[in-house]
Amino acid sequence: MLRKLTPYFFVAPLMISIAVFTYIPILSSLNLSVREWNFLSPDMPFVGLRNYEQLLASHDFWNSLWVTTVFAVLSVPLRLGLALVIASYLTRETLHSRLLRGALFLPSVTSAVSIAVVFSWIFSTDYGMVNALFAAVGIGKVHWLQDPFLALWVLIFVNTWKQLGYDIVIYIAGLQAIPGELYDAASVDGGRRLHVFRRVTLPLVMPTTYFLLVISVIEAFQVFTIVNVMTRGGPAGATDMLVNQLYEIGFVLFDIGRGSALAVILFVLLVALAILKSRIIGRKVHYEA
Amino acid sequence: MSRKFQSAIAASVLSLVASVGAADAATTVKFWHSFNKTNGAAIDKIIANFEAANPDIDIEAEFIGNYNDIIAKLQAAIPARRAPDAVILEVTRYGLFANNGILTDLTPYFDADPLKDDLYDYAKEVGVIDGKNYIVPFNSSTPVLYFNKDIFTRAGLSEDTPLVTFDEILSAAKTINGKLGAEGISGIAAPGQFARWGLVMANDSELVDPMSGEILLDKPNTIEAYQWMASLVHAEKVASPDGVTDEDAGRDAFLAGKVGIQMNSTGGYGSTKKALGDNLAVRPMPCNKACSVPIGGAGIGIMASSPKDVQDAAYKFVSYASSPEANAIWFAATGYLPINKKSADLPVAKEALATKPGIDVAIESLPNAHGRARTTVVTWMRTTEYKMWQAMALGQRDAAETLKDFAEQTRSEETRLSN
Repeated sequence: MLRKLTPYFFVAPLMISIAVFTYIPILSSLNLSVREWNFLSPDMPFVGLRNYEQLLASHDFWNSLWVTTVFAVLSVPLRLGLALVIASYLTRETLHSRLLRGALFLPSVTSAVSIAVVFSWIFSTDYGMVNALFAAVGIGKVHWLQDPFLALWVLIFVNTWKQLGYDIVIYIAGLQAIPGELYDAASVDGGRRLHVFRRVTLPLVMPTTYFLLVISVIEAFQVFTIVNVMTRGGPAGATDMLVNQLYEIGFVLFDIGRGSALAVILFVLLVALAILKSRIIGRKVHYEA
Repeated sequence: MSRKFQSAIAASVLSLVASVGAADAATTVKFWHSFNKTNGAAIDKIIANFEAANPDIDIEAEFIGNYNDIIAKLQAAIPARRAPDAVILEVTRYGLFANNGILTDLTPYFDADPLKDDLYDYAKEVGVIDGKNYIVPFNSSTPVLYFNKDIFTRAGLSEDTPLVTFDEILSAAKTINGKLGAEGISGIAAPGQFARWGLVMANDSELVDPMSGEILLDKPNTIEAYQWMASLVHAEKVASPDGVTDEDAGRDAFLAGKVGIQMNSTGGYGSTKKALGDNLAVRPMPCNKACSVPIGGAGIGIMASSPKDVQDAAYKFVSYASSPEANAIWFAATGYLPINKKSADLPVAKEALATKPGIDVAIESLPNAHGRARTTVVTWMRTTEYKMWQAMALGQRDAAETLKDFAEQTRSEETRLSN
């Protein structure tokens, strides 16, 4: 009997922590999304799908869904493309390459709030470093965080800068796992560098790309800290991402029901995207050389 | 073990027991507030004076953040049963807590307190909802107009330049921009939300009628005031757009001597004076079509969930914080309005009035100061106003169209909240 139970004892701590910190909050959000509550009232009356109806009828929700989608569509390929190119140059185990890997990885472990505050100053219209450099070469003031188009690109840039190091490290691991004989064979066959990259490296690094794609799309849809610190969703909603909208509904307007409904919608959206990616891209991923 | 060492241990144990005994005797009041830097030092002094006079009460004060931070953290702390006993709450946003039975009705305390007769009427009014007193005012303020005398002089403007109408302010800001723009100095800081509210009132209008609760966002005078404010940034370019997306940026630039004029709370007088010294000048808010300013600031509420003895101790502190002695210290250090009629007669207040020019401007504005609406929709309206203001000030949307849309949205939100 004890022998049969032993494996369960081993997995119990993990299962309990996942249940407490993941599944119970998900179920709790699901429950709150069909109720009306403001953190304060003792009652949480059941309101059916009213919170969902109100969300789907609001301009702010559709705006934030659109902005988040644009952010994900622009930032994910940029991140992965840059990471793969840089990782290709840093695969060899030299001192120079190790130092660069460390430097590039540093933003990933730096506080997002600190990064956002520093970049807010760098992109400040009047006293920012970027505009000061522009002024030195005769270019006028650019409203980085006040122009709706540029503000989104600034957030994409900052997010890419922060996350790039992690992607590079994962790509380097993927690239190092490709057997060297394949490159030797391609070289013997007269393959040029770009041709080898397209025919050998890209297909064989596909499992890593797929993993990073899943992770970075989830991250892009959950981006919050840099948005909240740098633009607070502004100017006029131009960078109002889904999680920022969720925070505003839940913790500024204290509409926990609608905030939870938005969290549930985001959860369903991410699950749907993961399934879609698995159907479209997952099948093309080869895990063996 | 040496005799000396044994005696040291015995003394330590005795002092530990004595200190535990003393701690047991004191009633601890957990107090959340929103004051740091100059204002934080002033509140610490008031708390220290109170504790010295009331050794049986220990005020455990904690700086939480700005008014919004306090409300957000309080909301999360209440269901987690980690709320404080007393808390600073902004005057337009405590209604949510009062209406949900979170705040103690202080009416019985307040009615029995001689303090009540000493408070100015405006101060007494801000804590009342439906005839019940939920907060006792502590830091009351109005917006005022600050300007940098050095920048005015360098721009060729006299210190007596009239700054009463919108046209006069725009004219001064344009002069500063024209003369000193090349040095990176702007004419005026984009107005923050408190100042925007004041400018709407200066144009003889309101955002929400404080008496009837009617939404007045799309009234012609409100639209006209916003058109003027937006023009400072977008059309006239005398205010930096940095202050539109981050209101603190406008204030910081003024404190750094990079902006000529700024409209902000009188509660910022202390830190502004510290930054600009003798270059600071203070004027009342403009009277474009009317002389009317909003009353801002906050009061202290007591949580209904705290035990009765802690509530009693908390009220003692609340009452002390509004007493002439404490209020005079607070007024002199920060520039917030005196809320107690007897404060101005105390030496510390007299000295401030004599040595800090401009600190009396807000007091002179008091006859024109009015409380603002604090209906439930106000929280939503104030949150959404930032987006609307950004759209207007950055030239993305026409002010009239934006405010009509905003008024409609606010009315439907009010209907949603009332259902």
